[in-house]
Amino acid sequence: MSAPPGETLVVREAGGRVAHPALPALAGAALARLGPGLRAALAILGFILLWTLVTASGLVNRELFPSPGMVWSAAVELWDEGALGSDLTASLGRAATGFVLGSVSGILVGLLTARTRVFSVALTPLLTLLRPIPAIALVPLAIVWFGVGEGSKYFVIGYTVFLAVWLNTHHGAAGIAGTYIRASRSLGASTRREFFEVVLPAAAPHIVAGLRMGAALAFLSLVAAELSGASSGIGYRIQEARQFFRTDRLFVGLIELGLLGALLDVAFVAVSRRVIHWEH
Amino acid sequence: MAISPAPCPSPCPVPAPVTTGRVRVDGVAIRYRGTGGHWVEALAPTDLVLEPGSFTALVGPSGCGKSTLLNAVAGFVPVQAGRIDVDGKSVAGPDPEVGVVFQQYALFPWLTAAQNIGFALKRFGLSAAERRSQALAGLAEVGLEGRGNMYPGQLSGGMKQRVALARTLASRPKVLLMDEPFGALDAQTRASMHELLLGVWEAHRTTVLFVTHDVDEALVLSDRVHVMSAGPGRIVETLDVASPRPRRVDDVDATYLANRNRIMRRLRHAH
Repeated sequence: MSAPPGETLVVREAGGRVAHPALPALAGAALARLGPGLRAALAILGFILLWTLVTASGLVNRELFPSPGMVWSAAVELWDEGALGSDLTASLGRAATGFVLGSVSGILVGLLTARTRVFSVALTPLLTLLRPIPAIALVPLAIVWFGVGEGSKYFVIGYTVFLAVWLNTHHGAAGIAGTYIRASRSLGASTRREFFEVVLPAAAPHIVAGLRMGAALAFLSLVAAELSGASSGIGYRIQEARQFFRTDRLFVGLIELGLLGALLDVAFVAVSRRVIHWEH
Repeated sequence: MAISPAPCPSPCPVPAPVTTGRVRVDGVAIRYRGTGGHWVEALAPTDLVLEPGSFTALVGPSGCGKSTLLNAVAGFVPVQAGRIDVDGKSVAGPDPEVGVVFQQYALFPWLTAAQNIGFALKRFGLSAAERRSQALAGLAEVGLEGRGNMYPGQLSGGMKQRVALARTLASRPKVLLMDEPFGALDAQTRASMHELLLGVWEAHRTTVLFVTHDVDEALVLSDRVHVMSAGPGRIVETLDVASPRPRRVDDVDATYLANRNRIMRRLRHAH
């Protein structure tokens, strides 16, 4: 379809009605002018409104698909029982411990494998084998090795975080521009200084990217980890809600996971902007 | 290792004759394994002497081995035959006595301009305050007063190369190797960098080996120009440039033109 020059392009709909093509574009432009915080709030409000309309329409079974109000009541109920607080404490504690274990070991191993030729060569086939193993498949092994206590949860979370951080750190430290190393050496830096003052900061953007991915994975594997006989935690609560057919409580757990993950990511981006300021 | 005195304030007293920074390249040949696994001869056996305090240019097309030769003197690449020594000491690897300025600047983007220079000063065991003040003095010498707290990402190409030059000089090298240092700059910035470099060179009196593919750049800067050719890389002609400095590309004499024509012809008929 071609429009004659100088004329505005109009879209003729099936009924012969003329639609204004600029309307969605106008709404988009208006939204784009708002601050990111306000935009997010508006999007969430719009979503809740839509959700309310769907559940109020009677088209869905509210036992299976509870309304926002029902989910809110369930959250208040969980809070009054004390379960919400203890779940958050338990889950966050597990995610944090697993994250620290996985990321510290991931960074150390990544730097070692990237800067040592033997490891560097052996790494790719090893990673190709390890990466497809999902966290949930590790749960039975974790239980056999560490029992049903906290140890098995730390293992499952720590392992998934480790893999992401290791991979990113390795790529970052292995791909450092040769001129940085040459400059460092010809300026008289020792091997120790080269490592701490050149290799580490040069790899930092990749390490931070790995940590961010690791933080997201810690939450993903958290639910899997809490399948190994937990008695508290968000993942446990979701399981329990399923057994008692409490979809409202189930939704509370899902929303908790979404909120925590999003908040964590926002915080991570804010911190990393300061740590690797030269990348921005 | 002797530490040379800090650069004198300008105007400098008449410099004493330079006695250190003598580079001898003796029958050096360099090969490397190409992508197909076969050996590529990057540099045929080559002899070269850089007198203390002299300014020498290597000029030639890409692939003529000029950067390879510079990298060998820097201790970055191993040689398969012959030897390179600086003041009688064999080059076994990178050494702060042989400073390098790279085309890509190689400034550390996570450090400020002053911290980049401070990196080079760390080997002298100074206090942090002394390092800072010497770094700022080094920046002032290359015309970057007040830019100490800026990051490389905030500086123009010309400014980056000034910081890189100040950083390399801060480690007090006897020999300064420059690998197409101004190749990425526009003509105007390049001309002002030439002036700056000659000023700094006169103050420090290091031996300079300057790699370029720009014949005019070589003729404006150097005492001696080695013309190189590819396949395998080798020196095909050497000529001395006696005209007094400062020399200008827009105000050349007959000798300059004769030298220029000679080099251009040599480059054209090199194969």
